[in-house]
Amino acid sequence: MKRLNLTERLGLISYRNQSKSDIKPHIRVETDICNSVCPHKCTTYVCPANCYTMDEEGKVHFQVEDCIECGTCMYACDQGAVTWEFPDPEIGRGITWNYG
Amino acid sequence: MDEKFDCIIVGAGVAGLTAAMILARNNMKFLLIEKGEFPGSKNVSGGVIWGEDLSRLVPEYWHETDGGWDRYINHRRLTFIDEQSSFSIDFKSDHFNTPPYAGIVVLRSKFDRWLAGKVEEAIAESDFAMDSFIATNILVEEILMEKDKAVGIRTGDEKFYADSIILAEGVNNLLTRQAGLQNDYVPADHILTGVKEIIRYDQNVLEDRFQLNGLSGMSNEYVGFATRGVEGGGFLYTNRDTISIGLVLGLKDLRKKGLKPHDILSDFKAHPVIKDTIRGGEVVEYSAHVVSSGDKRIMPKKLYKDGLLVCGEAANLLMNAGKAIQGMDYAMRSGILAAESAIKARDAGDFSSHIMKGYQDALNNSYVMQDINNFQDAVHLLHNPVMYQKMPNLINHFGRNFFTIRNEPTKKAHAMFRESVSEHASWMDLIKIGIKGARSL
Repeated sequence: MKRLNLTERLGLISYRNQSKSDIKPHIRVETDICNSVCPHKCTTYVCPANCYTMDEEGKVHFQVEDCIECGTCMYACDQGAVTWEFPDPEIGRGITWNYG
Repeated sequence: MDEKFDCIIVGAGVAGLTAAMILARNNMKFLLIEKGEFPGSKNVSGGVIWGEDLSRLVPEYWHETDGGWDRYINHRRLTFIDEQSSFSIDFKSDHFNTPPYAGIVVLRSKFDRWLAGKVEEAIAESDFAMDSFIATNILVEEILMEKDKAVGIRTGDEKFYADSIILAEGVNNLLTRQAGLQNDYVPADHILTGVKEIIRYDQNVLEDRFQLNGLSGMSNEYVGFATRGVEGGGFLYTNRDTISIGLVLGLKDLRKKGLKPHDILSDFKAHPVIKDTIRGGEVVEYSAHVVSSGDKRIMPKKLYKDGLLVCGEAANLLMNAGKAIQGMDYAMRSGILAAESAIKARDAGDFSSHIMKGYQDALNNSYVMQDINNFQDAVHLLHNPVMYQKMPNLINHFGRNFFTIRNEPTKKAHAMFRESVSEHASWMDLIKIGIKGARSL
């Protein structure tokens, strides 16, 4: 079986309000904390949807669009940088599973 | 919907829908609120529902072959894998072919929706056919409290009131935390991240591949190289024309080892043994969700307060003690017990902790908490590196030697075993694991 990369995997997912470009993010990340005191920056690898990325300078960036509401970052971040909520059904993103 | 409800349930997963079914049958006027587009739309599980409680909710559900469930389990397999090999304990029996089934495989987007339909039917037959609702697309943002008693919920600017609230919001239990029953920050220590793919096949191919007959199904758990040394394990369940294959990975260990869950999943699928098992299919969904480990230390100390009850994974009711990953059956039983306490409270006209505590007592007396209490050592054992690293290597080393036939004198099995032990562990490891295993299982 062909090895799928994450982009291909995320391409299989049905997100909500996908046609809306202006969505209300349900997770807020204080990347200042990630980029100053965090010793591991673990969200950049534990997030199953790769919403957290690290640039060439080692700085953490966050985007909510691919989030599949799994909760991983809420527990993995032990630095208090992640404020996690569920997406608003009307103006948030988040998922609708086809199989679940 | 201005008038007050007897009960508001938050979350249309297995726990919430179960509670709703019991409430409807007992003529309670209730509101079940779900944030997703439809019940099940945001729910993920492995998943097998173990045990027979479903037949209490939907009697003789097995006649509905086009209902919400996919297959019944009559074939169990536990597989230890190292880099190249696998060594399985395999059990299949005709004994499991007769309803009520001992376990059924479900896909939640389909199962929960089907169960919600059954709840709608029960509502229609209740005294509150026009006044009880399952409401979707609504996110509960706040539990309304008056004098430390839960009295309702708020969503946006709207408020709904009820005599009692049942929280069945799942493991990411923000409202349970808000109510002060769980810490605001729950550390990664006893949390695992599950990643899963659904792979589709021609149904005949699937049935031939896994030796399925009619609607029979197989569950396979994996320990060892599946997780690339991260604590946790793998699973494979057969659905109707798909399989669910995935991993649960200890989040603290994942953080420490610097690995990506989706990479480990790709490696697991590429393992020589797994690769042959899953070949030819088409991946149709990738999903992920955190789960509790079954370690009691993560559980809220109290699952109730005035006017409030917590059930299912919101109460971290999930356990893998080596025999099976149990969660949805715990959700069902705790949902039943929570609903029964809400009904008792209505009958007594008393919604204080005094009555609500009866839920926790009933849960403690049920198999759910008895098992969670009795199998804590097994949970710890499964999260011991000897168990998920050394043992699978040792077992496979032994298997390779034992099953290798050469045209030269063959060693006795015990000599081979000694070699495997010295190669991959120590007698001390084995003795410790043996004693712990014997006690815990």
